[in-house]
Amino acid sequence: MTLLARLKSWEGFLLAALVAIIIANATLSPQFLTLSNQINLFQLSIEKIIVALIMTFIIINAEIDLSVGSMMGLAACAFGFLFASGVPAGLACLLVLLIGALGGALNGLFIAWVGLPSLVVTLATLIGFRGLARVLVEDRGITGFPDWFDALGQRGLVGDIPLALILFAGLFVLFHIVLAHSGFGRKTYLIGNNREVAAFAGIDTARHKLILFTLSGLVAALAGLLFAARVGAVRGDVANGFELDIITMVLLGGVSIFGGRGSLVGTLLAVLIVLNLRNGMALLNITGHIQTGVIGILLIASVIAPRIDPGALLRRRAGRAEEGPTG
Amino acid sequence: MKSFKTLGLAAALMISGASLATAQTALEGGQEVDMVLLPKFLGILVFDQANEGAQEAHAELENPGDLLFVGPTPENSVAGQIEIMTTSATQGQGAVMLSNNAGDQIAPAAQAAQEAGTRVVTWDSPIPGGEGEDVFVAQVDFGSIGVVMADMAHSILGGEGQMAVLSATPDAANQNAWIASMQEVLAADEKYAGIELVDIVYGDDQAEVSYNRALSLVDQYPDLGVIMSPTTVGIQAASKAMQDEGLCDQVKVSGLGLPSEMVSYTMNGCAPEFALWDFRDLGYLTYYTAYGLATGQLVGEIGESFTAGRMGDYTIEEDPGRPGAKRILMGPFTVYTAENVEAAAQ
Repeated sequence: MTLLARLKSWEGFLLAALVAIIIANATLSPQFLTLSNQINLFQLSIEKIIVALIMTFIIINAEIDLSVGSMMGLAACAFGFLFASGVPAGLACLLVLLIGALGGALNGLFIAWVGLPSLVVTLATLIGFRGLARVLVEDRGITGFPDWFDALGQRGLVGDIPLALILFAGLFVLFHIVLAHSGFGRKTYLIGNNREVAAFAGIDTARHKLILFTLSGLVAALAGLLFAARVGAVRGDVANGFELDIITMVLLGGVSIFGGRGSLVGTLLAVLIVLNLRNGMALLNITGHIQTGVIGILLIASVIAPRIDPGALLRRRAGRAEEGPTG
Repeated sequence: MKSFKTLGLAAALMISGASLATAQTALEGGQEVDMVLLPKFLGILVFDQANEGAQEAHAELENPGDLLFVGPTPENSVAGQIEIMTTSATQGQGAVMLSNNAGDQIAPAAQAAQEAGTRVVTWDSPIPGGEGEDVFVAQVDFGSIGVVMADMAHSILGGEGQMAVLSATPDAANQNAWIASMQEVLAADEKYAGIELVDIVYGDDQAEVSYNRALSLVDQYPDLGVIMSPTTVGIQAASKAMQDEGLCDQVKVSGLGLPSEMVSYTMNGCAPEFALWDFRDLGYLTYYTAYGLATGQLVGEIGESFTAGRMGDYTIEEDPGRPGAKRILMGPFTVYTAENVEAAAQ
């Protein structure tokens, strides 16, 4: 892809928008470019953007996982419950990751082998995981976690950079390589474009989907643990409604809800746009309903804009034919 | 001019012996400090009233800085409060005045704000563990709310009958403390032996949810005599539900409500008695406290006394409900009935 073509693409548009937002923020708020604000900007939404990475795979695969917010809540609450029951925090973390993988595999089994739509299965587990989380902690908040656990969520691990941000960066690089440059990534696009054709080509589509949903549960559980460490306390409503923020960021990044198209670079750009926009508005004391409204309008525009631009439509037709892992 | 007046007042009080125990700080106005008033969420009348009180104090102290009233949406209350607390520290705000809806989850963000030099004063609802908080401005003694609610239930039920509680969110530190204190009062005093607390439900401080919870309580407990709602949203929604369904003869509503919102229900007998304190005063006192701390005129130690403008003298003391935490007690509060509610609703 030439540089010019890249600039005309959706990703190019996102990049231009991001640069405009960053320039506006830096001009309007003297604190914007400080290191501590840049870290806070990520930290305040770090759990969502980590889950957005795996959600990119799921949606490119022409599926959806609505249960990630509830799984984050379940993971945080299960950690609180285990810790309050006397299980050492380190062991509790491992058990929680296991719960995440099992919960994700449960989704995967019903979707891949029973053949139910992921919308239905993960809607059910959205309610089920949340219910389980609320049963575990009831109407109380659990706090008083060990210092090392809280410190991992709240303090810098390398200099001022906290663990969660390092994990996000590491997972982004790893996932990008897998999606764009590996056989697994190629299969993710192929199955997302047309599952029947992929099956004819000899791909075990059920196994592929099981792996993706198991990973989704595992990453969501990790994100739930990071949330518990960051806020130092858990209760039943942790991460309530996060799934919608996560999915909208992925869609804004240009990943097609019908599957087969998109990239992690697009998701990253969308994440940066939403985070910088939120942070810029917060620094200008624009909060609450207006902030929600502005981001809502941006998302509507992002869904509609590529559809009414005939050039984009043509490019997409052309892109379909030669769709490869580079997206 | 203003500071002369306050100084004069403080001097007069010292002479009259009102504050012999500790030095009385008369807060000097005119110093520039930016502050943030952060409610649980926007769009609730009592928080708007607290803002009016804070704005009044802001003008009175002639603070050239900004007083911002910013808050999250109800659906995003916890994450939104944490975000605003963090951003306030980044902006270098002098103080954040927080009505906490995030339980202990806001403690790390509040501690980080303190480390960045921002004073954190809670009001209405404290940080349960007390970490990250300089001082809590308590509207009334949390223990005494239990007695008042038990007494109102006793009077409405004529000493005997079933009561259910319709609260706000399950993790609201203030409501939970009041309900616990009412349960203690009910258990401790023989006077309340005839009152049976059958259930505690949560309407999430949203009118529609609270309305439906109130109706399902009536379905579930046919002998229910009173719904006690320690939240202004819940008590109004429950009163409307009983009125709409024509249940007011059978089930009465009581708790903590705003006279302006409750006047019609009190006059038609659906909610014969309820109680509240003045949220304008709470905002006013909170502002004076936060201003004193942010300008360095108050340190925030137990035993420190200061004069809060028109409201008089207050002292920082240990919070009896939260070991290790500090509070300033505003008090007292008023019980409203058909006799006084119309005047208060003006």
